[in-house]
Amino acid sequence: MKAAFIAYNQAHVEEIESILRQLSIRGFTRWQDIQGRGTKTGEPHLGTHAWPAKNMATLCIVDDYIAPILKKRIQALDNDAPEQGLRIFFWEIIDV
Amino acid sequence: MKLYESSVKKPITTSLVFIAIIVLGLFSLSRLSIDLMPEIEMNQAYVIVTYPGASAEDVENNVTKVMESALSTVSDLKKLTSTSKENTAIIGCEFEWGIDIDGAVNDMRDKIELVKQMLPDGCSNPMILKISTDMMPISILSATAKESTNALYKILDDGVANPLNRISGVGAVSISGAPQREIIVNCDPTKLEAYNLTVEQIGSIVSQENLNTPGGSIDIGSETYSLRIEGELEESALLNDIVVANYGGKNIFLRDIAYVSDTIQEKAQESYVNGVKGATIVIQKQTGANSVNVMNKIRAELPKIQKNLPKDIHLQEVMNTTDNIENSIASLVETFVLACLFVVIVVLFFLGEWRATIIIMVTIPVALISSFIYLFISGNTLNVISLSAISIALGMVVDDAIVVLENVTTHVERGSKPREAAIYGTNEVAVAVIATTLTLLAVFFPFTMMTGMAGIMFKQLGWMICIIMIVSTASALSLTPMMCSIMLKREKDKKHNKLFLTVYQPISVFLDKLDNAYERLLTWAVRHKTVTIIIAVVMFGASIFGMTRLGSEFIPASDNGQITGSIELPSGANVERSKEIAARLGEKIKKIPEIRTYTYTVGTPSEDDDNSFAMMNTSGSNYISFRIRLYDYKDRKKSMFEVAEELRKEIDTYTEVKKFSVTAGGDGGMTSGSTIDLEIFGHDFETTGRIADSVKVAMEKIPGLKDVIIDREDYKPQFQVDFDREKLALNGLSVGAASSYIRNRINGLTASVFREDGEEYKIKIRYDRAHRQSVEDIENILIYNSAGKAVRVSEVANVVESMEPPSIERQDRERIVKVTAKLYGTTLDVASAKIQEAVDKMDIPTEIGTKIGGSIEDQQDTFSDMTLLLVLILMLVYIVMAAQFESLRYPFIIMFSVPFAFVGLVLSLVITNETINLMSMIGAVMLVGIVVKNGIVLVDYINLNRERGMGISQSVISGGKSRLRPVLMTSATTVLGMVPMALGIGEGSELWQPMGIAIVGGLTVSTLVTLVVIPVMYCVFASREIVKYRNKHSLKLNRRKA
Repeated sequence: MKAAFIAYNQAHVEEIESILRQLSIRGFTRWQDIQGRGTKTGEPHLGTHAWPAKNMATLCIVDDYIAPILKKRIQALDNDAPEQGLRIFFWEIIDV
Repeated sequence: MKLYESSVKKPITTSLVFIAIIVLGLFSLSRLSIDLMPEIEMNQAYVIVTYPGASAEDVENNVTKVMESALSTVSDLKKLTSTSKENTAIIGCEFEWGIDIDGAVNDMRDKIELVKQMLPDGCSNPMILKISTDMMPISILSATAKESTNALYKILDDGVANPLNRISGVGAVSISGAPQREIIVNCDPTKLEAYNLTVEQIGSIVSQENLNTPGGSIDIGSETYSLRIEGELEESALLNDIVVANYGGKNIFLRDIAYVSDTIQEKAQESYVNGVKGATIVIQKQTGANSVNVMNKIRAELPKIQKNLPKDIHLQEVMNTTDNIENSIASLVETFVLACLFVVIVVLFFLGEWRATIIIMVTIPVALISSFIYLFISGNTLNVISLSAISIALGMVVDDAIVVLENVTTHVERGSKPREAAIYGTNEVAVAVIATTLTLLAVFFPFTMMTGMAGIMFKQLGWMICIIMIVSTASALSLTPMMCSIMLKREKDKKHNKLFLTVYQPISVFLDKLDNAYERLLTWAVRHKTVTIIIAVVMFGASIFGMTRLGSEFIPASDNGQITGSIELPSGANVERSKEIAARLGEKIKKIPEIRTYTYTVGTPSEDDDNSFAMMNTSGSNYISFRIRLYDYKDRKKSMFEVAEELRKEIDTYTEVKKFSVTAGGDGGMTSGSTIDLEIFGHDFETTGRIADSVKVAMEKIPGLKDVIIDREDYKPQFQVDFDREKLALNGLSVGAASSYIRNRINGLTASVFREDGEEYKIKIRYDRAHRQSVEDIENILIYNSAGKAVRVSEVANVVESMEPPSIERQDRERIVKVTAKLYGTTLDVASAKIQEAVDKMDIPTEIGTKIGGSIEDQQDTFSDMTLLLVLILMLVYIVMAAQFESLRYPFIIMFSVPFAFVGLVLSLVITNETINLMSMIGAVMLVGIVVKNGIVLVDYINLNRERGMGISQSVISGGKSRLRPVLMTSATTVLGMVPMALGIGEGSELWQPMGIAIVGGLTVSTLVTLVVIPVMYCVFASREIVKYRNKHSLKLNRRKA
């Protein structure tokens, strides 16, 4: 099992939800109204006057075979609108 | 959930809420009545006291002064005027505008109650009269007749006045100029003397002979019959057969000593319509009725009325107040439609997309129609002010929606789904949108608190614009994002057709070039700050110089196609001479093609005319008043003012005319042009009269002053019968008894009434005209004492020719003479300066005071109000901006756009040859709120760039470039929304034209200058800030080192 952490511009919320639904990922944890900034490129999402956009993050634990599919879908979404800002990170789950 | 979020998520609710608003607004619109101005409560009341037998001076000392001292303590009193003339004192109280007149009248009543005992015996009870706009006639009809002339009064009374009176909303309908029937017994004094009869005896015999008496009732058998004695004459000719005396065994009939004429009144006001003698019918409305509604009903009724009249009688509308209302409203609607079109074009031009254009355009009807709900609930009418408010707001309501749409589009282009883009895009600009609306509210809300004359005009405007702005912001934050979420598409998803591309491609290229050109200009300006600032200061300096060349006036006169005027011949001139002059003027008028109808009235209204409107006007045998109606504004070449000037020149050539005035725009109303008065205060009649004469001569020499008139009436020639009381007493007579003998013979004794067909006509007995034409005729009148002994007037009295003293006018408890003039082709400030100069040169005794009055007083009051308003608004706007930026510096930078608004304002007024007046000043005040909006948008974005880490110059240049289109677009919608108003299309547009010009000019120049000067000023202040920070920092470092 893998933990997938998706950090994204809050404008993506509906697309992310729909991807998770399509992949039958039921369980998730979500943070609203959070701030973040990309490591290399992209605008910061800080919810301030200068950078009014904000982030959301979703953490979901998925089966190993789902992970690459999820990654592909998320990256496709990111490529469609690269300026929006969207990242997915995976790490192993040791125990449940 | 936030407003925009919930509205995007609930599109059905959102759209239905706004549809409901529109439906309610349209419903309100259908119920609104139309009027010219918001309801104005007049601020004048009069007190009338009669003191029979007292001369003007007696009245002044014993009545007027007492009343004045009591009334001067009434609160909110602005001006106290009085007229004391023979028998009567009229005291006028003028209050501040906008006070509760009923309260003021009650206050007056209380004060009068206190001093009532101090009035001399024989005074009547003081009568209080409140002046209201309802007293002005809403329409004047004229009736011309040929064969029916003698019966005209009765025909009009039955056939026109009565049916009109039955229409709901119609108040008084009075007929003048149609003499009423009268039966006159013309006695021959020599025959009376021969038979030892008097007019009084004949009078009592006639009244005894012309009598119906109920005789009670009698019972005959089981029935009761009433008994009547029918003694009334069935025909006027039967009067001849009345036996008036028995002399030497023979009956003396009335026909033996007099002849009876069944005729029309001898002296009456005569009216001429287009040169034909006729009658005028004055229609007043009931208090609170709506003129346009009433007028429409009257118009619907008139054809039926005309049908029932004899063929030779023609009814014609001479004046009505509603044509002007309807035309003014229609021209404003036209202006509005044109402005809408302009705004659509601007939005389409900048956005190049019909979907976006529709989203923005929807805001216009929503915001504007909602304001009708306010009008309906607050009981207001659809008038020039409320419609202008809508026109003014038109260009501004789209601004908020544009800002929101622009940001949402950016988000969509970046790849957001329209739904999310709508929510988050709106979220980002919501605060800025609300802040710009608040600055506008800071401008328009103080309008609602204005007092005085301007308060009446602009209270409603302030409320309307505030409400429209609030609704437009609400719509921009709910309806606009909702529509964006449904209608917007990403650029790459769009399919453009070929036609669109060929049309819009060049525009798009042009806009890109404009962006680049602006970037280069801004880069240059930022590098040459000093030069830029010097150029700006020079521009401002030049406009201050231009300002000194602008004239000022109070309210621009507007062309309503009505001209009234009066001509006065030397006092004592009889009606025949007046008629001749009037006819000559009529010939001239006929030749002016702009004139549709003209009427003139000559003579005095008879004492039993029930025409209160006629009573209010001056009249006399030497007095001609005329009224002219021009064709509609678009159907004629010359303006009302030019026609009036032409008439003035014509009348000026009549040597017999003593004084005259021609008023373009008709009497009354705020828009009939400016007058200027020189008020001369002083007790002594001769001195003030002399000064008034020389002032008049001086004023006539000043170019641009027309109709210079001294308002004091002349001494009137009269015959005075001076009784010798001793001789009267010897003959057992009193002055009262003796004078009634004279009155009955000259003026006539109303003995009885003759009834026919339910109407009553007076039977008057007096001397035949041939026996009342000279002083001898008066002297020969026989007066009988109680013992029946007769004396001639010449035995007990002297008949002397004398001059009747004029009435005594007072203002603020001092005697006053006014020299008044109308302005044509000059401005108030210039004229008053010239008059003051002329007066200063004169040798005026110290006890005489002079003051310039008239429109200039209102102007000064209002201008100082406006200046105060401007200061208040500047402060409020600063506060709102300071709160938004949480800084004192940025609002200060933004305020630099205000002086350039004035540069543009002055420039445009100079170019169009307009004046500084109430309307252009209102325009200036509005500009404050409109121009700072641009500054806010710019500075906000420059700040944003700096916060994102750019350097000052870079922030300024890139911020400027990215905000160029929104700034140009919102300014262009406002400017083009005003252009139709500035062009002055249609009737009544003169009023709003200066305001339109002021805003168009001011906003255009200010926008262009703001786009350069504000970034430069920003650089200057921001650099200083950094230098300061560094100094402070290095000081700390130095200290630490030390």
